[in-house]
Amino acid sequence: MQCPPTLFPTKARAMGYEWDFAIVFRDFDLLILGLINTLKVTGLALLFGVPLGLILALLRLYGAWPIRIPVGLVIEFLRTTPPIAQLFWFFFALPILIGVEIDPFRAAVLTFSLQSSAFFAEVFRAGIQSIDSGQWEASKAIGMNRNETLRRVILPQAVKRMIPAFLERAIELMKTTTLVSTISYADLLYQANNIAQTTFRTIEVYTVAATMYFIVMFACSIAVRRLEKRLARSGETVVN
Amino acid sequence: MEYAWDFSQVFANRALLWQGLQNTLILGFTCLVLGLFFGLFVGAARFSGKGWLYYPATAFVEVFRNTPVLVQIIWFFFAFPIIAPFRIDAFTAAALGLTLNTVAFSSEIYRAGLQSIAKGQWEAGKALGMSYWEQMRRIVLPQAIRRMLPAFMNRAVELFKMTSLASVIAYGELMHKAKVVSTIAFNPIEMYTAVALIFFAVLFPMTIVVRRFEKRNDVGS
Repeated sequence: MQCPPTLFPTKARAMGYEWDFAIVFRDFDLLILGLINTLKVTGLALLFGVPLGLILALLRLYGAWPIRIPVGLVIEFLRTTPPIAQLFWFFFALPILIGVEIDPFRAAVLTFSLQSSAFFAEVFRAGIQSIDSGQWEASKAIGMNRNETLRRVILPQAVKRMIPAFLERAIELMKTTTLVSTISYADLLYQANNIAQTTFRTIEVYTVAATMYFIVMFACSIAVRRLEKRLARSGETVVN
Repeated sequence: MEYAWDFSQVFANRALLWQGLQNTLILGFTCLVLGLFFGLFVGAARFSGKGWLYYPATAFVEVFRNTPVLVQIIWFFFAFPIIAPFRIDAFTAAALGLTLNTVAFSSEIYRAGLQSIAKGQWEAGKALGMSYWEQMRRIVLPQAIRRMLPAFMNRAVELFKMTSLASVIAYGELMHKAKVVSTIAFNPIEMYTAVALIFFAVLFPMTIVVRRFEKRNDVGS
């Protein structure tokens, strides 16, 4: 098979091995497709996970004890069990239990939405609890009830403080989504596995895939750090 | 929901699961000890402010913090042996990936901890004629470590969760044993539920201890 010419030399001998990246770049569109799928799962998990996290946090903070305790337990359970066990449970076990087939994509979105909602719930809780109790009292003094106070006074301030913690969590989530490759959803790592198996250029493929992950996540990390600094300057402390 | 739960197969395979849990703990503790040990040096290198130490250490930390740990494990298992001068089995590959990951994350905890110690402490040590490493060992680290403890324990919980990824490269830890049993006994529901419960039983007490420590530190400061 003829490799298309590339702009830079792709072959080199180093560490006793003939490196050849051309083969990898021939299938580069597959890797890009994989990266898009990775982002798709991450995005959907965020979309469902964040609102669910808020609901869980509110239930844990303000629910009556028959609600508060089970919700707390669910949050702790989702936080202290390995994501791969959760994913396998939703992919292999849940379909038997409910008698409905679940494809890898749905299982992934379901797992990561639930898993990240537990982490987001803790971020929300820390954010809400970080707001000074004087704010509650002031709102009460002007005749607001609890829901109004939460919606109009507490949450707007809390959310601003939570932004860095949220974004860090989102990066963590993106890292965790690599697990979907184990249930054959075509994310970046899955595509890399496939290319490695067909071309035998294992080291090049995995190095390129790791670099692609690094570029995306490092860019996000830098953006988060910038934002953190700006929020710190504007007098908002960061909640973890 | 008319599924008849049957945990008898889980119970029948308890020896295998116990073996898996032991392997999980062996991998976890190996990576934790090595990761915390080397993390100190990487953290100190980033803290030192010397360019030739700072930049390589920072590059290492950023690479390992900003790539998925599963990719790291797979890289060490499938890619690294091609250029490595020695044989790499599943345990070595998983231990390499997880250790380096722990080094990167713990070095950040060390760095933040060291930065939180007031400069006067260093200067006081110097005034007594201590060398840099003496100041570090006898004055700064003992104070810093107490502040770092909750963060380290959180890291340990994360690490033990991550050891389950070694199942992907067929290291015989808990998750892998469960996978093997569930394909033979056709009981993925009970098996994976059991695994999740075992992890929860091991790690949840740890998170409670972490929270205690965090609260005590809050009161102390």
